[in-house]
Amino acid sequence: MSCWPGGRLVAWCDGDVTAAEPATRRARPGGRAAGRDIAGLLFTGEMYGVQLDQLAAVIGTSQRQARAAVVRWQDRGWARLEALGPGPPWAWLTRAGLAACGLPYRPAPPGLARLAHIRAVTAVRLALESAGGYALGRGYWRSERRLRARMGNARGGRLGLREHIPDAEVHWPDDAPVAWAGEIWAIEAELTAKPVARTVAIMRELLSRTGDYGCPAAQVRVAGLAPRHLRVIYLCAPRAVSTVARARAALGGDAGRVEIRSLPGAAALPPAASGAGARPSRGQHR
Amino acid sequence: MTSRPGPRRGRPAAVALIAALMTGLAVAAAPVTLAAAAGVALAWYRGWPPGRLYRAAAWCLPMVAAWLAALAASAGSPLRVAAAPYLAWIAMWQHGAAGDIPAAAAVIAPAAIPAGLLAAGIGWSVRLRSMAAGSGGRSPGSAAAFDRRQWRHQVRSARARISAPGSVPLTTKNGSLVVGAVIRSVGHPASAIAAIPYERIRGHQVVIGATGTGKTTLLLRLWAAFAATALRRHAAGAGRPPLLVVLDCKGGTDARRLADRTRRVLRQAGVRSTAIWPDEASLSLWALPPGRLVTTLVDLVEHGTGGAAYYSDVMEAVVSLAVGAPCGPPGGNADFLARLEPGWLELAYAAGEHAAELALVRSAAGQVRDIALRFRTLLRRLGDGLDGPGGFADADAWYCILEGTAEVTVAEAQARALVDLLASYAVDRGDREILVAVDEFSAVSRRLPIWQLYERARSLGLALQVSAQSWHGLAASRDERYRIAAAADGGIWLMRTAHPGPAAALAGARPGVASSRMLLGRLRWSRRGTSLARTRPVVDPDLIRSLDVGQAAYIHRGGVTYVQVKRLIAAPAAIAGAPRDISPSPLAMTGAASGQDRQDVQDGAGGRPAGRARLPDASALLDEAFGPEPAR
Repeated sequence: MSCWPGGRLVAWCDGDVTAAEPATRRARPGGRAAGRDIAGLLFTGEMYGVQLDQLAAVIGTSQRQARAAVVRWQDRGWARLEALGPGPPWAWLTRAGLAACGLPYRPAPPGLARLAHIRAVTAVRLALESAGGYALGRGYWRSERRLRARMGNARGGRLGLREHIPDAEVHWPDDAPVAWAGEIWAIEAELTAKPVARTVAIMRELLSRTGDYGCPAAQVRVAGLAPRHLRVIYLCAPRAVSTVARARAALGGDAGRVEIRSLPGAAALPPAASGAGARPSRGQHR
Repeated sequence: MTSRPGPRRGRPAAVALIAALMTGLAVAAAPVTLAAAAGVALAWYRGWPPGRLYRAAAWCLPMVAAWLAALAASAGSPLRVAAAPYLAWIAMWQHGAAGDIPAAAAVIAPAAIPAGLLAAGIGWSVRLRSMAAGSGGRSPGSAAAFDRRQWRHQVRSARARISAPGSVPLTTKNGSLVVGAVIRSVGHPASAIAAIPYERIRGHQVVIGATGTGKTTLLLRLWAAFAATALRRHAAGAGRPPLLVVLDCKGGTDARRLADRTRRVLRQAGVRSTAIWPDEASLSLWALPPGRLVTTLVDLVEHGTGGAAYYSDVMEAVVSLAVGAPCGPPGGNADFLARLEPGWLELAYAAGEHAAELALVRSAAGQVRDIALRFRTLLRRLGDGLDGPGGFADADAWYCILEGTAEVTVAEAQARALVDLLASYAVDRGDREILVAVDEFSAVSRRLPIWQLYERARSLGLALQVSAQSWHGLAASRDERYRIAAAADGGIWLMRTAHPGPAAALAGARPGVASSRMLLGRLRWSRRGTSLARTRPVVDPDLIRSLDVGQAAYIHRGGVTYVQVKRLIAAPAAIAGAPRDISPSPLAMTGAASGQDRQDVQDGAGGRPAGRARLPDASALLDEAFGPEPAR
């Protein structure tokens, strides 16, 4: 199962996009609270964990209401809420929550070392999903957690293998009314600058891959087949922009398939929770 | 024991009488005789053991029971049921006399077929035993010729069995690992399918086979069956998930090809992820516990003896200081090398109560740079396969390629490090059922004697499978070879090899009878002679030398089963196209990228990159979501 930004539940797909026509929350009849809960649960499960301010943006409520929603999930044993780092507390799904959502992932709190990255990727997703072109193109966000689960078993996959996994994929249906219909994009959030050579290697790997994640090794990169990711979208913190740009320049003919943008403003970990009653909009996450 | 004079000698009349009686009996019981003859002929042609005929006779019993039940129901008299065989025999002759052969066969079949099969089993058993004892046949050489002929028949049957679709599954319902079809078994229960219990593969095994004998096919089958069984047991809650670690100590192109084939075979057995080290995956040496890391690092460097021992002590002290620094152990090659510097070490131990360490740093300052140079060279030669990230938990199977042929010293160090990593993983996690398969480990076992690997595997609960192309390839010394083979509680697999004697001898001997025959004249032997009880080897080394491709002898607990291994069909390999750039750019594929485009990029132009116009413009969406492209 997957959800749309407004909390609308659509069918899950594990490959190409089969999502139904999105609808706004206003158009959805009845059961708003349950729909929000499901949307929030699914979003949280897909993103490893979500900080409360971002969860509020997902389900379209204030942080206080989002906290109340998570407390409800906690009462049912579906989620946990803890202050793992700076800023608002983090919510993540327990084993029962993942099972309730039908998500085949290993339950674990977001790793402390990855909090900043998870928040950045969530901010990227929120920003992208809030754009009009995304809804128009019926894009589908395939999270890193799902890719990783496909690559290995339910315990979490092959972390140590040299098969780079992007932070997400965005799938565009073939019949979407956008110019890039049918494409699959790889999303990379860069908070720090890696060595240029390493970044070039990652770009080349993403651009040359032909097989889906979890496919037989012989299909990962097959000469003559069209590449899986037609574009790679890099969302960079200011200190990483220069490295990524130089790596792109080193790609040669494939440089045109790499887009570089800045991370949304809300991607950085906030210093502390404040204004719990504030109701952030998706635009704030840009 | 001396054989008694035969009935033919001195009593031709009695012999003729007995022959006439036997012939009359055979004719009178013609259906039984025919069934027995057919059974013996089939057993001879297919190379069956007598037990196969006994089982066939037993399987006829339901037919006999149904026949008798039908008779009892129709006649209503137990006496008539008791006389049923006789009545059927009478009816058979009556139908036969009337020319109704099908009816005659149908009437007598329920009684004649099981009796005939039983008689065939007894007769075939007598024949086999007499040939084994050397008392059968026209000449003393008949037994050997008979055995060779039967071997050919048994091989033909086994090959027919493995070629039948679905006849040889990967595992059985009770979790045994199926290897192929049985050719012949000695001292093991006779069965058509060669299956070993899962517990055997969890013990230590030895595989010996020359190049081109099908050793890889056997190993792949064992690995896939291990993985499939372990996964099934894990799914049923009866065991831990499997971890297969293959150390290919030869390296080279063949190793890569085999690694790819292994991955495809394992994939079909349910293994989701197979890591090929160091080509596609890495492990982190730095994940070892600090104490173990120091030992491993020091052992990776070549030491001398005598005066060099002092130097090795200094090295261990410096490495211990670098690894055990208050800030924590190093996280990678670069971090470790950066610590091998007197200034860094002094700074690390400057704070707190580290007077002793500081004194050590100052006294060893003169050697620290030399030690750093040695480790810099070592780590450069080892490559980045041990510099992380990653660990054995990250995949269900690891195929580790050590260049034991091309770069022996590097491969030796890598082998040492890999074994230490695996031991550490097994001790710390202990959540997998681990099978370690090492091929030609003797090529890289100078730093880590293979018996030590054996002992460690035994203590850690790892299953170890050692394979080599010859008996001498098992280990460097004779003692080590015998230690390895004797400790193979999971069995020894012998394929064709030039020197099978030592391994074959480990199967032991079994009691038998040897007979001599009296020579009467040119190519004429009497049936008189002597027989002696003697032991004979369970495994015939000459038979091992003559094994064909795909044939193996499985030696376990004083018995041997000769197996025709069923080859596993892997998924198709990657399409072998013309060599091309790993990055299949759509521009390159269509040839649409202009030279100017490429020139723009090569010039490092900071503006719009080359080829951008070839893709649909998604800038509007990206600009809306994230704003315009940032300036560098």
